[in-house]
Amino acid sequence: MIDVRIGQLAQQLGVHRNTITNWIKSGKLKATATVGKRYLVEESEFRRFSQTLRIPERMVAAIVAPDLPAHPIDNAILTQPKSIQSEVRMSDKPIGSVMVVGGGIAGIQASLDLANSGYAVHLVERSAGIGGVMAQLDKTYPTNDCAM
Amino acid sequence: MVECGRHLNIQLHTLSEVIGFNGEAGNFNVTVKKHPRYIRPEKCIACGACAEKCPKKVPDEYNMGLSKRKAAYIKYAQSVPLKYAIDPEACIYLTRGKCRACEKFCPTGAIDFEEKEEIVQMAVGSVILAPGYTPFDPTGWDFYGYGRISDVVTSIQYERLLSAGGPYMGHVVRPSDEKEPRKVAWIQCVGSRNTNRCSNGYCSSVCCMYAIKQMLITAEHAKGQPVEQTVFYMDMRSPGKEFERYYESAKARGIRFLRSRPHTIEPGEGGNGVRMRYVTEAGELKEEEFDLAVLSVGLEPAKGSRQLAETFGIQLDNFGFAQSSNLSPVHSTRPGVFVTGAFQAPKAIPRSVTQASAAAAAAAEALHVVRGTLTREKSYPAERDVSGQAPRIGVFVCSCGINIAGVVDVKSVAEYARALPNVALVENNLFTCSADTQDMIAARVREHNLNRIVIAACTPRTHEPLFQDTLKEAGLNGYLVEMANIRNQNSWVHQREPEKATAKAKDQVRMAVAKAALADPLHKLTIQVVQKALVIGGGISGMTAALGMAEQGYPTVLLEKADRLGGNAWNLTSTAKGEAVRPWLEGLIEKVNQHEHIKVLTSATLKTAVGSVGSFVSEVEVDGQLQSITYGAAILATGARESRPDEYLYGQDPRVMTQLQMATRLMERPAEIAKLGSVAFIQCVGSRNEQRPYCSRICCTHTVKSAIRLKELNPRMNVYVLFRDLRTYGKREELYKKARDLGVLFIRYTLDSKPRVTSNGRGLTIACSDPILQMPLELSVDHLVLAAAVEPNPNHDLVALYKCGFNADGFLTEAHPKLRPVDMSVDGLFLCGMGNYPQPIEESLAQAQATVSRACVVLARKEMQLDAIKSAVTEKCDGCALCLDVCPYRALKLMEENGNGRPRRMIASDPALCKGCGLCAATCPKGGIYVHGFTLEQLKAQVVAALAANG
Repeated sequence: MIDVRIGQLAQQLGVHRNTITNWIKSGKLKATATVGKRYLVEESEFRRFSQTLRIPERMVAAIVAPDLPAHPIDNAILTQPKSIQSEVRMSDKPIGSVMVVGGGIAGIQASLDLANSGYAVHLVERSAGIGGVMAQLDKTYPTNDCAM
Repeated sequence: MVECGRHLNIQLHTLSEVIGFNGEAGNFNVTVKKHPRYIRPEKCIACGACAEKCPKKVPDEYNMGLSKRKAAYIKYAQSVPLKYAIDPEACIYLTRGKCRACEKFCPTGAIDFEEKEEIVQMAVGSVILAPGYTPFDPTGWDFYGYGRISDVVTSIQYERLLSAGGPYMGHVVRPSDEKEPRKVAWIQCVGSRNTNRCSNGYCSSVCCMYAIKQMLITAEHAKGQPVEQTVFYMDMRSPGKEFERYYESAKARGIRFLRSRPHTIEPGEGGNGVRMRYVTEAGELKEEEFDLAVLSVGLEPAKGSRQLAETFGIQLDNFGFAQSSNLSPVHSTRPGVFVTGAFQAPKAIPRSVTQASAAAAAAAEALHVVRGTLTREKSYPAERDVSGQAPRIGVFVCSCGINIAGVVDVKSVAEYARALPNVALVENNLFTCSADTQDMIAARVREHNLNRIVIAACTPRTHEPLFQDTLKEAGLNGYLVEMANIRNQNSWVHQREPEKATAKAKDQVRMAVAKAALADPLHKLTIQVVQKALVIGGGISGMTAALGMAEQGYPTVLLEKADRLGGNAWNLTSTAKGEAVRPWLEGLIEKVNQHEHIKVLTSATLKTAVGSVGSFVSEVEVDGQLQSITYGAAILATGARESRPDEYLYGQDPRVMTQLQMATRLMERPAEIAKLGSVAFIQCVGSRNEQRPYCSRICCTHTVKSAIRLKELNPRMNVYVLFRDLRTYGKREELYKKARDLGVLFIRYTLDSKPRVTSNGRGLTIACSDPILQMPLELSVDHLVLAAAVEPNPNHDLVALYKCGFNADGFLTEAHPKLRPVDMSVDGLFLCGMGNYPQPIEESLAQAQATVSRACVVLARKEMQLDAIKSAVTEKCDGCALCLDVCPYRALKLMEENGNGRPRRMIASDPALCKGCGLCAATCPKGGIYVHGFTLEQLKAQVVAALAANG
C-alpha cells in the first residue's frame, strides 16, 4: 500500500494537483480516501497506472519506496552540474563572442561587462526595445532613486 | 541603457528570438529569427508622426493596459533603440490590407511594409540567458475581483500610476473616477507563497520591499494631504542592506501593517473603491472600505522561458526557474550556457545586476584566450590644431521632433543666434542626434572651417559623448562642444509659457556661445594599468574571486588574516539546496593553492596602500616580514562573523548555544543530538534591534534547515522555532513548508514580549505567548539554539587605508546600491561576500564572480583613459589647503617643495582620483586651482552673457 498525498505526488510527477484529483475521481487511478486528503493505493495498481502513462521507472521507484530521495530539492542534487567544472569539454576553437538573451537590467549589465572587457556581444531581445520590467518602475528601494 | 545601445561591441537584435541552438561550449551556433519592425531603423528619426497618424489604438502593455498606444508605437519615451515599430497584430494594413497612413506621413520614408522575417545564424562562444520574469496575473481570482472591480490594481499598474511618465503623469488617481485616493490598501503575497490557487510555492523576495516603497512614495505624492495606508501581510520580509531601516521608517510614518489576509474584495458603494473583510490577529472579523486596493503580485518565470530552456537544452526547477547549483549559481545544467537574473530565481535589482556580472565573468572565463579577437576599436582622423585661431562657432538648434519645437520657437532662436559674436553658422535640425545629422555636422565643420560647436538640444548627460564623437570624426577636439539644454531645462518645464520659454532658450544659447568661445582643446590622460589583482580575505568569496581573476589570466595575490583559507564555510554542512559544503570547499582550497597565477599569503595583513585605479602599491606583512606588491584592482572580501549573544542565558548555561555551535555538534556528534527530546530556536538574537537595526538575512533559512535535520534525525523530537517574521525568501520558502510538514512548531514573538528563558536541573524553560491561541506558553526544552546576529569583521584599518566607506553597521558600502552593487566608491576597488552584507553561499559566490567581471573591465586594457575634466593647480596656489577639506574624492594632497632655496607649499591634484566636481575651484580664494573645461574665465563669460538680457 502506498500512502498518497495529492500535493506531494503532483510535485513528484511534475503535474498539477488537480490532475491527480481528476485521475482518482475518474477512476483512472484506483485509490481509497483516508484522512486529510490522503489516499491509499495498491502498489501493483500504481505500477499498472504508471505504465499506462509511461512514467519513468526512476520516478515510480522513488514514489513506491520513499526511502530514496523523494523531495524535489533532493532530486535536484542528483542532476546538478559539478560546481567547479574542470571536466567540461571545451571546444578547441573557441569564439570570442557571447550571446545574451534578454534585454532587461540583467542582460544589459552582462552585455556591458563583456563588451568592456574585450568580447563582442549579441544581445537578443524579444520586444522592440531593451529595458525590461525595470523600465516600468518608477522608483527603487531603499534609496528612492529613479529607476530610469 | 543608452550606453548599451551605442556600444561598438554590442549588437542589438530587437524583436528577435532564438529558434535553434547547437555546438559545444566555446563554439556554439545559434539560429535567431528576426521579426520585421516594418520601420527602417536607419531612417527612423523617432519624430512620432507615424504614431500620431496611426488610427488604431490598442492597450499599452508598458502602462499595463492603463492607457492606449497606437499600432505604430515606441515602447516608452526613453526606449533604446529610439526607433518606432509597427505591431503586426494590431496594424490595420497588416491585418486587413488597407490604411498605410503612416507611410504617407513619415518624413523620412522609413516605413517598409515589405519587410520580411529574417533567419540569421550566429557563432558565439558562450550564451547567457536572462529572460527575466513576468508579473503574476491575478485575472480569474474572483475573490479579489481583479479585472471586475476597477479600483483593484496590481502593484505594477500602481507603479505606472506613480510614474511621472505614466498614464496620469505621476498624479496618483484611482481608475474608477480619477479621484485621488485617500485610503489605500496593499495585499501581499498575491501569486507567491501560494500552492492553493496557483503553483507558486516560493516567495518572490521583492514584494514586501516594493510595497513599502510604493507607500512611502505615495505619501510623498500626496504633498501633506493625509493618505491612510494599510498593508495586509503574512511575514514582512526586508532582509537586505538598509531594508530594515526602510521598513522602520515606513512604520514611523504611520503606515498600518496588519498581519492578516483579506479573503474577499467587494466593490465599494456606487462602483467606486472597494470593501474588504478580514480577520484580525485577535480573531475578530472586520469590514473596512478603501478607495483603492493594490495587489502585490509575485514574480513568475518569464513567458516563453520553458520553450527557451528546451531550445537551449537546459533544465528548469519545479517552479519553472532555471536549475542551478548553489555552489555555482550562474551555471546552467549545460556547459557554456549561463543563467542569470530573475530567470534563475526571483530577486531584486541589485542581486540581478550582481548575478549578471557574475554570468559575464563565467561566460568570459572559458573564452579568455580569444579575448579581443572579435571586438573593434574606433579610430579617428588626426586632430586639427585650433590654438591661436579666432573662434568660429557653429550653432545647431534642435527641434527634438515636437519636444522642443512644440513650445520654443526654434526658428527665432536660430535667427537670434546668428547675430551673436563669433558665430559663423546656425542651423536648425529636426533631430540633431540622428545619425544623418551627425554626418551633416561633420561636413559643416569642414566646409565652414568651424572650430567650436554649440548644440542647443537636450542634456549633456546622455548626449555629450555622442557630439564629442562627431567632433572627433570631423578632426576637432571633442571638448570643443558645448551644450545648451533647451529641452529638459526649458521646453519640458515651461510648457504653458511658450514666449518666455523662447526668450529663455535665447539666453541659454547666448551663454553657451560665450562659454564655447573660450573653450580649449583638452586631452584625455592615459595611465598604465598594472594587470594584476589583489584579493583581501580568503573565505569562499575571496577564493572564488581570486580563482576567477587567475582563470582569466591575471596574476593574483590572495591575502588571508588567519592561518588557513576557508573562513566561515568550515562550519557549514550544506547549502539551502542541500549540496554538501565540505568536499567542495576542500576542492576549492586545493585549486586556489595550486593555481599558477595565484599567490596565497596566509597570516597576512595589509599595511599600506597608495595609488589609484590601475596602479596601486601596497606593503603586506606576512609573519612579521614586509613584502611589497603592485596591482591594478583590489577585491575586498573581508567577511563577517557570528556575534556573541548577551541574553537568553548564553554563556551561563551550556545548553544554550549559537547556530554555528549547534551546526558543529550536528556535524560531529549527530547520534548524541538525535537522543534529545526537545530543542528550541530563538530568531533575531541581536538583529533587528536598536543595537543592530538590520536583518541578518541568513539565520531564518539556517534555522529552518537545522530544524529539518533534527526532525529527520529523530521524528519524535519536539522542535520549536520562536521567530518575529520568518524570512525564507525566494525558493527557500520550500524549506519552511517542509519544516512545517515535518511538524516543526513555529511560534511568533514580538519585541515587546520577548521569550524569557530560565534554567533548572532538568532542562530549560522558555516562557512566551502564542499569538494564535492568544495564550501564554511554557516550553520545556533540552537545548536552546540562538540565531545570533551576523556582524562584519572589523575593517576600520582597511577603510582608512583605501579611504573607502562603510555604513553605520560596519558593512562596506558599494558605489550605488542598485546599479553598481559590487563597485566601491573608490575606483578600482570592488567588494563581495559578507563584508558587504550577511548573505548565503550562493549570493556570496555570485558577488565574488561579479567582482571578477568588474575588475576585468579595469584590467583588460593595458592603458586606461581618464576624462579630461580634471582640476589643475596654478602658480597662484600658496598652499593654504582650504580645498583639501572640501574634496570629496581625496584627490588633493599638500606637497612641500624647495623652490629657490625656500620651502614652498603647494597643492597637487591626482588626476586618477579627481572627478572634476569643481568644489576646490569654488573654495579657493585666489584662483589657485581650476577645473579644465570650466575655467573661471568661461564661467565668468557665461554669467556676463546671462546678465546681458535682451542684449
